[in-house]
Amino acid sequence: MKYFIEFRNVVKKFGDFTALDHISLGIPKGNFVTLLGPSGCGKTTLMRQLAGFSEPDEGDVFVNGKRMNGLPPYKRNTPLVFQEYALFPHMTVYENISYGLRLKKLPKSDVDQKVRQMLKMFNLEGLEDRFPRQMSGGQQQRVAFARALVMDQEVLLLDEPLSNLDAKLRVEVRTELRQLQQRFGITAMYVTHDQDEALSMSDIIAVMQHGKIEQVGTPWEIYFRPVNRFVADFVGTVNFLTAKVAGRDNNILRVEHNGHILRIYSDVPAAVGEMITLVVRPECIRIAREDEGIPDHACIRGSIKSYSFLGRMIRYWIQVGNDEFIIDDNDIDLNGARSGSVNLYLDTRKIHILRDGGAHADS
Amino acid sequence: MAQNSSAKESIKEMKRLKNEPLLLIAILAIIAFICLFVVYPVIKVVVFPSLTDYAKLFNNQRWFTALKNSLLMTLISTISCTALAFLFAYVNNRLDVPCKGLFRFASLLPIVSPPFIVALSYILLFGVQGIITKQLFGIHIDIYGRTGLWIVQTITFFPYAYSVINGVMQAISTNLEYAAYNMGATRWQVFRNVFWPLCRPGVAGGALVAAINVLTDFGNPMMIGGDMALLPTEAYMQISGWYDMNTASVLAVALLIPALVLFVVKNFWVGKRSYVTVTGKETSLEPYPIPKFIKWLLFGITMFFTIFILLVYGTLVYGAFTKAWGYDWSLTLKNVQYVFLKGNQIRNSIVYGLIASLGASLLSMILAYIVQKKQVGVNKLLDFFAILPGAIPGMFLGIGYVMAFNSQPLELTGTAAIMILALMFWNIPTCYNSATAGLQQIGNSVEDAALNLGANSFRSFKDVIIPLLKAPFLSSFVLSFLRSVTCLSVVIFLYSPSTTVGTISVMVLVQSGQWGEAAAFTTILIAIAFTVLRITQGILKKQGIDLKL
Repeated sequence: MKYFIEFRNVVKKFGDFTALDHISLGIPKGNFVTLLGPSGCGKTTLMRQLAGFSEPDEGDVFVNGKRMNGLPPYKRNTPLVFQEYALFPHMTVYENISYGLRLKKLPKSDVDQKVRQMLKMFNLEGLEDRFPRQMSGGQQQRVAFARALVMDQEVLLLDEPLSNLDAKLRVEVRTELRQLQQRFGITAMYVTHDQDEALSMSDIIAVMQHGKIEQVGTPWEIYFRPVNRFVADFVGTVNFLTAKVAGRDNNILRVEHNGHILRIYSDVPAAVGEMITLVVRPECIRIAREDEGIPDHACIRGSIKSYSFLGRMIRYWIQVGNDEFIIDDNDIDLNGARSGSVNLYLDTRKIHILRDGGAHADS
Repeated sequence: MAQNSSAKESIKEMKRLKNEPLLLIAILAIIAFICLFVVYPVIKVVVFPSLTDYAKLFNNQRWFTALKNSLLMTLISTISCTALAFLFAYVNNRLDVPCKGLFRFASLLPIVSPPFIVALSYILLFGVQGIITKQLFGIHIDIYGRTGLWIVQTITFFPYAYSVINGVMQAISTNLEYAAYNMGATRWQVFRNVFWPLCRPGVAGGALVAAINVLTDFGNPMMIGGDMALLPTEAYMQISGWYDMNTASVLAVALLIPALVLFVVKNFWVGKRSYVTVTGKETSLEPYPIPKFIKWLLFGITMFFTIFILLVYGTLVYGAFTKAWGYDWSLTLKNVQYVFLKGNQIRNSIVYGLIASLGASLLSMILAYIVQKKQVGVNKLLDFFAILPGAIPGMFLGIGYVMAFNSQPLELTGTAAIMILALMFWNIPTCYNSATAGLQQIGNSVEDAALNLGANSFRSFKDVIIPLLKAPFLSSFVLSFLRSVTCLSVVIFLYSPSTTVGTISVMVLVQSGQWGEAAAFTTILIAIAFTVLRITQGILKKQGIDLKL
């Protein structure tokens, strides 16, 4: 497969600290790819290698088949939206947006036309003579987007551009941003530590930790088929169940948890006697009604410790053996929350199996 | 290990300089300049006297007394300066009282004035011909000596402590105090356990700034010290009266050591101890009201000192237009005419101030830019060089220049060049701090953004960095100019008849009892300083920047 943006074995060190440890990643044209990970995982550093603000110690960076190593940032045509916007404080909105075009020595009328188009698209008309300090955070952010998009490049880099906005605005902007990217067919690279942003906007997510990519995949793969506990835990809420493989009946795996046999739909080739981890998302499990009969192989017993009412659902914390489970219950009783001992009904088709020896990460 | 790798980093960064010859040349030139015009003169002075000369400091009763007096004056004046500064800052930040603008104005005035102005005015008010002592009460008191100097230094230098303490106090959120009240603390407990500990770094910093100024003060002791021997004035007497460079050097070194200690403590200890973080997002509540009685008592004391300061300046202006202070109170323009007759000296003040400030702010700007925005491996060393002149008392620098540049190949004695160079290097730390503060406001990513949009290094420097540097450059230039025009201690050792400046004339006039002319001279110097300050503030305000002193 031919990639539009590609990193091959990129290594970057700062003194003794390895920020990027042999990173390879390919992004097809027109895709929205998100680098997701905790702070310090190397996601921004990786993006800076592409923009040319820093050079890899080893490895290559390609855009559209062209090797970018050694090329100064101003020759790379990789417009970037900065986390703190980095608007020029001494230039007006108009001057900020038009700066890149003026550098290219485009005719004045072309510049004007393109800038007007951006002003309109980002709802900035009438603000063109303002200075950045005279505008709200949301407006500044739109100027930053306009300044990058006006360059009309096939690539757009975004370094946590929504982190300075309030929660409601953030949700609005991420929808608009995704639509824009698709409309223009831009290949976008997005850095964030927010799993909701990553899941809602991306074609591809690359989850990073300690300078390495842990997993690359679609949001569905990352969420339902994480490769390890870190990815499962970082993307969304999760319950881990340690279990032992007891046997297999065609596509059903029999696993033993706390002396109780569960039957899980899975094609994971786990051997009999192997210790495994079951990844159970809160929505893959529900509290059975009191009179409900559940098949024994999909049932776990527990007792409710506490709950939190969120309107459309109740989140329960339930003690199961030595583990604590988080369960989101959509089937809310108008009379209030449940309490005491309950049966938990597992949706055994959605449960994911990790062949990690079943050991808890730390304990 | 970490040490080792950071050293390796530095060497790697230095090697990279080979590709940027312009940067390399700039760095080498700066280091050479500072070595020649700061380090070299200092060494000259230190090694000039022999060890037996140094022993005289303790054998000779008079020198030893000068040392003791200097340290004692520094101690008591610093305490009073800090206390007064704390009061002004507290009233400004935490009390709901009128006239705050007036208080702020009063605490700004002494900073933009020649350092001896309070002494001069004090003489006009309370001296033998004083308007209050002689005219109002018909009494005669001896104001020369310790008490007079103490009062004068307190008024002169508390604003320096104030600006530090005020800055820290401003950044302390009142929410913290409310949090303590909320947990059941009494008013006194809140002050002792929350407010005071948060102020402490500011108070320590302010006290040290005041101490350095008091210790190295030359103008006030010269005018009002009377018979009291102090290190700076004694050193001056040795040179101007007896041409005794040996003794002058010994006294200057005796002054340099405590100044260095204060400097080191201020920069490397207090500098790292501020707890205040400015987040900008927090909304503070109105200060918690304090009992009316205490509030108005504090207001009264602040008002008293404010009126005193205004009286000082009022007296000066009045003196400038009075025929013969103490005898003939009728108004006249002859003093002002006298100043215009001596227009050459005012012209020198302005010209030297402009050139020195231009040089100092340009050099500091480049230095600050390299230290802040470029990784060159020697950033720490350059930073140290830039603040180094701040450790050296003005008069020490003056004596150093006399000794260092009196022979070929750099024979500068008596020239305008030596005055300008001394003022320039004396001002570098001030300019550097101002430039650094300005540069830190420019986010790193702004330059990256320009590169990202297609500007090469030169274009991004021209389109983004230069325009953004205008404001810090202008403010450091103005600060330097104010300091130069009002400076006495540095230039007193370096002037010749043709290179006399305004401040020196004032000192000579005061010594010969020509109060009216001295007052007129000072008034005009302050007028110039204030005009320049206000114009610059106006320009900067248009760009949305507050010029802070």
